[in-house]
Amino acid sequence: MTSVPGISVDRASKRFGDLEALAPVDLDVRAGEIVTLIGPSGCGKTTLLRMIAGLERPSGGSISIDGGTPDAARKAKRVGFIPQSPALLPWRTVEANARLLLDLNSGANPPSPPDPIELLERVGLGEFRSAYPHELSGGMQQRVGLVRAFALGARYLLMDEPFAALDEITRADMRHLLAELCEPTGAAVVFVTHSLAEAVFLSDRVAVMRPRPGSIVDVIDVDLPRPRRPELEDDPKFFALESSLRTTLMTGAGRE
Amino acid sequence: MSERRSNAVVWTVVGTVGLIAFWELIVRALDVRPMVLLAPSRIVSTFVDDPGPYVHDAWVTAQHLVYGLSISLVISLLIGAALAAVRPLEHASQPMLVLVMVTPWVAYITSVVLIVGSGQRAVVFLVAFVTIPAFVYATVGGMRSADPSARELFSSIDASRWEVLWRLRLPSALPSLFTAMRFNIGLGLGAAYFAEGAALRLDGLGDTGRRAASFSDGEGLWTTILCTAVLGLLAQVTVALVERSTLRWHQSQR
Ligand SMILES: Nc1ncnc2c1ncn2[C@@H]1O[C@H](COP(=O)(O)OP(=O)(O)O)[C@@H](O)[C@H]1O
Ligand SMILES: [Mg+2]
Repeated sequence: MTSVPGISVDRASKRFGDLEALAPVDLDVRAGEIVTLIGPSGCGKTTLLRMIAGLERPSGGSISIDGGTPDAARKAKRVGFIPQSPALLPWRTVEANARLLLDLNSGANPPSPPDPIELLERVGLGEFRSAYPHELSGGMQQRVGLVRAFALGARYLLMDEPFAALDEITRADMRHLLAELCEPTGAAVVFVTHSLAEAVFLSDRVAVMRPRPGSIVDVIDVDLPRPRRPELEDDPKFFALESSLRTTLMTGAGRE
Repeated sequence: MSERRSNAVVWTVVGTVGLIAFWELIVRALDVRPMVLLAPSRIVSTFVDDPGPYVHDAWVTAQHLVYGLSISLVISLLIGAALAAVRPLEHASQPMLVLVMVTPWVAYITSVVLIVGSGQRAVVFLVAFVTIPAFVYATVGGMRSADPSARELFSSIDASRWEVLWRLRLPSALPSLFTAMRFNIGLGLGAAYFAEGAALRLDGLGDTGRRAASFSDGEGLWTTILCTAVLGLLAQVTVALVERSTLRWHQSQR
């Protein structure tokens, strides 16, 4: 292992048969940094995220996490994955779901992971510890999904459009909550989204992608102060960033 | 208890009483021969006269059923887990499973007795053998139904194959396994009753029933039939209770 912490994507590409899902892309995510991947459907966001998570091998190029392979990071449980659907196990209570990733492959747990109960309380689910997933709303279920990943105490969090299925108001609450959860951990986050507001509010940098073949068109810095608070979304600077991001996205999609 | 629930109970009782009354009435009005159909009142009086042998027989048959289903379930879980993991194996096993399902077991009991010997072993073997396909299909289908996102989540932290099986695939298969169990109780009980009569055993409801039939003893025959039905009912109720407490999280139980 080298001394450079962080995720480094080096000309990684992916083919599925004849389909070039992802042309060679470069991306670096430093420790503690939040980077968003944004782009239309089919531009390879999920593919890139899954390759970083070690769930899929690149067809070309390489990816390293803290100098090692994504597979090594996966085995060492250094990556917390948050899928698009909350993927809670219906036979486990909220608390048992929050502990799921700690229960599995427990030999690789960190020495003192965060307390899932405390995390559940912080996301407002303290009273629902012994409820079952079907008793929760979609937003509450996804909050359990967040807690489940944060409970790992992982240095890297990978999220694939976790709020895509939620209504607009719940989505806004969720991104504010996510920002709050991320701040104290110092975890690096790769966040996939369709939403400009989510990208601007959460990120340090936004990588704009386009399809056919999937590639990164531009990487935009978001120099808004931290900690990010909900009021920020009324700031003219926020709007300015959002609209310049929209322009880049449209240009990338060939709709000037 | 909600009003809807207590209404359901009332109507179930009405249906049961109605059925018994109708049965009694038909037999008496048409003067049906005992061998063809025995009135419920006479079944009850035959049983009450000398319950000992019937209780003993029912106990023997119950054991055959429980042993057979348990063995079948264990074997099916092992086979099913292997088939769910390896697709070519699943295709390769189809002919065998389908063959077991469609071949009338009535036909090959003689060869079962020749292979495994007569008595209890033949009965338990037949019960296990005929109930395997439904359990295997339930296991494979249920395990395959495990949420793909959850599988991805498991592999994102390198959960072992065993953990995936035990913590994800098996619980996902529980609802379909319970359904298969309900189906297999009827099938297994039929196989047990038949095999007892054919496997040179000297007790069990099936054997007593067969002998009663050969002596044209309608009372003995119908009492074993009703005892078998009661056994099946008890088994179904037990499974339903276990299912209700195990699958509280599943939509079928809400
Ligand atoms: N396992 C797969 N097999 C074949 N094609 C795939 C597979 N996964 C993704 N693709 C294709 O790769 C392209 C990128 O997909 P994806 O990464 O899911 O895009 P996004 O997440 O940005 O919507 C799409 O055209 C998709 O159909
Ligand atoms: Mg996607």
